[in-house]
Amino acid sequence: MPKIEVNEKLFFSLVGRRMDPAELEPALETAKAELDAWDLAGPADERIIKIELNDTNRPDLWSTAGLARQLRIRLGGGIPEYPFFSREGDQRPADYRVVVDQSIRELRPYMAAFVVSGKAIDDAMLRDAIQTQEKLCSNFGRKRRSVSMGMYRIELITWPVAYKGVDPDAVSFVPLQSDESMTLRRIAAEHPKGKEYGHIIAGSPVYPILMGADGGVLSMAPIINSADIGAVQVGDRDLLVEFTGTDMAAVCLSASIVACDFSDAGYEIRPVRVDYGFDTPFGRSVTFPYYFQQPASVDSGRVSRLLGDSFGPEQVVEALARMGVRAESHGQHVRATVPEYRDDFIHAVDLVEDVMIGRGLASFAPERPRDFTIGRLSPIESFTRRAKDVMVGLGYQEMIYNYLGSGRDYIERMNVPADDVIRISNPMTENFEYVRPSILPGLLQSEAVSSKAPYPHRIFEAGKVAFLDDARNYGTATRQRIGLLCAHQAADYNELAGVVSALLYYLGEEYSVDDSDDPRFLPGRQARILIGGEPVGLFGEVHPAVLENWGITMPCAACELDLESLL
Amino acid sequence: MDPRTFLKGLHPLEIKVLLRYAPGDGLDAARLASELGYVEGHANQAQAWLSAKGLAAETGRSSRNVYELTALGREWLEAGSPEERMVAWLAQHGPAAMPTICQAVGIEQKDAGSAYGRLSKEGVLAMGQDKLVSLVDASKSLRAAALKALLAKAAAAGGILDEGTLGDAERALMAEVAKKRGAADAAFKVAERETVTWALTADAAAVSALLREEGVSGDELGAVTQELLESGSWKGAAFRSYNIKSRPARLIPGRRNPYVQFLESVKDKLVSLGFEEFDGGLVETEFWNGDALFMPQFHSARDIHDVYYVSEPTKAKAIEEPYLSRVATTHENGGATGSRGWRYGFDREFTKRLVLRSQGTVLSARQLPTASVPGKYFGIARCFRYDKVDATHLSDFYQTEGIVLGEDVSLRTLLGFLEMFAIEVAGAKEVKYVPGYFPFTEPSVEVHIKHPVLGWFELGGAGIFRPEVTEPLGVSVPVLAWGIGIDRMALMALGLNDLRELFSYDIEDVRLRRAKL
Repeated sequence: MPKIEVNEKLFFSLVGRRMDPAELEPALETAKAELDAWDLAGPADERIIKIELNDTNRPDLWSTAGLARQLRIRLGGGIPEYPFFSREGDQRPADYRVVVDQSIRELRPYMAAFVVSGKAIDDAMLRDAIQTQEKLCSNFGRKRRSVSMGMYRIELITWPVAYKGVDPDAVSFVPLQSDESMTLRRIAAEHPKGKEYGHIIAGSPVYPILMGADGGVLSMAPIINSADIGAVQVGDRDLLVEFTGTDMAAVCLSASIVACDFSDAGYEIRPVRVDYGFDTPFGRSVTFPYYFQQPASVDSGRVSRLLGDSFGPEQVVEALARMGVRAESHGQHVRATVPEYRDDFIHAVDLVEDVMIGRGLASFAPERPRDFTIGRLSPIESFTRRAKDVMVGLGYQEMIYNYLGSGRDYIERMNVPADDVIRISNPMTENFEYVRPSILPGLLQSEAVSSKAPYPHRIFEAGKVAFLDDARNYGTATRQRIGLLCAHQAADYNELAGVVSALLYYLGEEYSVDDSDDPRFLPGRQARILIGGEPVGLFGEVHPAVLENWGITMPCAACELDLESLL
Repeated sequence: MDPRTFLKGLHPLEIKVLLRYAPGDGLDAARLASELGYVEGHANQAQAWLSAKGLAAETGRSSRNVYELTALGREWLEAGSPEERMVAWLAQHGPAAMPTICQAVGIEQKDAGSAYGRLSKEGVLAMGQDKLVSLVDASKSLRAAALKALLAKAAAAGGILDEGTLGDAERALMAEVAKKRGAADAAFKVAERETVTWALTADAAAVSALLREEGVSGDELGAVTQELLESGSWKGAAFRSYNIKSRPARLIPGRRNPYVQFLESVKDKLVSLGFEEFDGGLVETEFWNGDALFMPQFHSARDIHDVYYVSEPTKAKAIEEPYLSRVATTHENGGATGSRGWRYGFDREFTKRLVLRSQGTVLSARQLPTASVPGKYFGIARCFRYDKVDATHLSDFYQTEGIVLGEDVSLRTLLGFLEMFAIEVAGAKEVKYVPGYFPFTEPSVEVHIKHPVLGWFELGGAGIFRPEVTEPLGVSVPVLAWGIGIDRMALMALGLNDLRELFSYDIEDVRLRRAKL
């Protein structure tokens, strides 16, 4: 979930009025945002508010202007107008042109652009634009894979700009954060940004480049800008903002979001025409910012059913308007025009949620459920509780352990093969690399760290284990088991034999024992537990070699029993 | 001080001393041994316990030597001292050279030398010009006789002779044959013994008087034994009072784990609210862990840095149909759900990939195909996250999740459930709802509660499952889905502040833990 920092002064000027934290916090709920930190010390111009945004489908909220817009509308500020958008069959006249070449079609085909003009960019707005670029491209743009963004100084650009794929060894330029001219291949391999994002274009015979008509390089999308045309600074006027990517709708929406942000902040947005050498979902020639969204609709009956309160169509329209969504009703049917900066109405239920927030969640009274249902524990939970009660009566302390552990604890120290142990292919550390195949390692670890606890030690745990099982669809099995361990001077096979006998007696099971040769136990002092001829567990004296592996010097006897087989 | 306070705590060993002696009487172990028949250990216990109560005080302390019979001493007592042996042999065999005598009686040259020295001085032995030793007068061997008597006296006294029991001559002789160190080649080892003398204090007089007044003799019965009951000999006898203020012995009982009990109490609450428990395996597929929940396969929470993958096998053999096809189409274009979908190519291989269950909602989704309408289900599921383990993050932990299916359930019913959880499960006084975001519910809300101890915090998240989740799994009614975070309440109930301690390996730690449930 993205976290953003907004300049306090810029933010409240865009909201339309100042707020204190007690006012801001509830106001942010409209945007599913939370106040993370607001340091009220320091000069007013530089104060920063940190805000966390929870909705990953609303990238328009991840900027100062975007978040302020949602709050402004909800406070009654009206639905903003963005007349600079082109629409299908209604392209705005454009003074600037970008040509997208066939050569980029396979790698990163889509491009959107517009020009920001009208006043010099100030520090707060530049910082915000850079933050927007980062949040949009990393979260919504999937770490620049599907969308990346660049800003350039128009005064250095010769039009039209070309977006194309070129031989990585044939073109060189000086990238940002560097002093020397480098080939595209070198940038991808050696530049810090190349190392971070180079994998997106790796393996392609051509690398993407934005180049002016005079051959001046704007950037190597999606990696890095040039150190001259691509070095935007406070005080610059007239910026080109462009987006490239693999998903036309995502590229287009990103351009719309940033254009609306600049527009809200008082900048003029001037369209850019992008001519493609191939077909795109929006045509071969598209003037950006471009409104591509389809209308969304919902019946007021559906709204009423889902929210549990009666809504007429007009009330739905009214609630949506408070969220900045224009809508009109046709009978019970409400048809909404999706705002330029949003594309999250995937299903009618998405409109229902906007109605809920527009009406105000506090206006919905909690209602006691009317349907009668019978509650019950799962059979294995009930059975496990019976087994645990018996163990407590036998003097055992219940424990509970983590299910992830190391190969050292689960395999090496237990002197067992790794054959059926589930390993994680992307462990964070080797301490949590395996899923426990047995409860016994946890019990032995307890004994290993508890030699100072007064003896005798009698402990048990009931819980899940999992292991590889090729016969199953998932190649693994999860089982509910109980494991017990006693440790003291005289702990031995016979003591555990008595415990097993008592436990199974009270669980109502007839059992027999058979020879066992498990390496975790002493030969001749271990037994398999059979019920109806099927093995359901084992017990015995823990092998001194295993105890030594754990650094345990107290005799231990242990048992592990599969509870599910007894169910 | 009230003498009565002592009465219950007195042991018979103390009582007999209090009854027999008056304050100021000089007491020591020897006196208690001879007059009360106490062995030394009992005498010392009586003194220590009375002193601890302030009823006795030490009056003096002196040290004296005691002489312990060594192994050599015992040998001399049985086989004779070197002197005795030499005299006896010479009486039988006549004059002989020293080496011959040594070999014959089995003593070393140097011991034989000093023995001869002493005997010749006494006029018992003499050596001629021929270097042969001969017996002159056996009756003059007084030292050897005295030594033999001393050894016998020591043996009769249990191997230890107290300095005070020796006469002057014995002391002189002892000084010659006893050693402090290196006593292996001496007949006696010298050791120092301390004698403590003590007396009852003035306070003891009142206690003694009270004992007499109460008729306490110190001969009262101790434990009630089977023998006592069978014989009936307890009748007419008095039982000794025990010190009920003494610290009881520690017991180590069998016991449930308080964290597990906490989890069970939550389960029981949910059952009481009409929820049926569900359960499932720890290993899941991407299909159930994300796809069935309408999380697009490119969703950031499905990144390699959020979910644990199983290394081998990497994939399930198959995904259940018709769910796979329906979910795939729903992702691609919405299928029959009225959604436009995520508009991408659904990867039917990726969906088979095996992961460790990362969210409890998986079990809710799995329940849908077989769920009843109306129906309420819940589970407390162990989940796994790619997180650095610290006080607030675990790599495996419990999530509490559930669903409610019904023809008429709505946002308001959902709020009603959340309110019940807040009050019944969390003990909250105030509840607040704010809009939330979860990929699989729309609308979504978060519930915040004011806990009596913890203050305001987020209890959980909830919403109505998206039709893209329910319809492909065969459910056409609205499904309320909720999850509540109970870890903070668990920590509070257990008096802990670190999540890692919930799964403690430390036996003593867990034994001593108490929960306020």
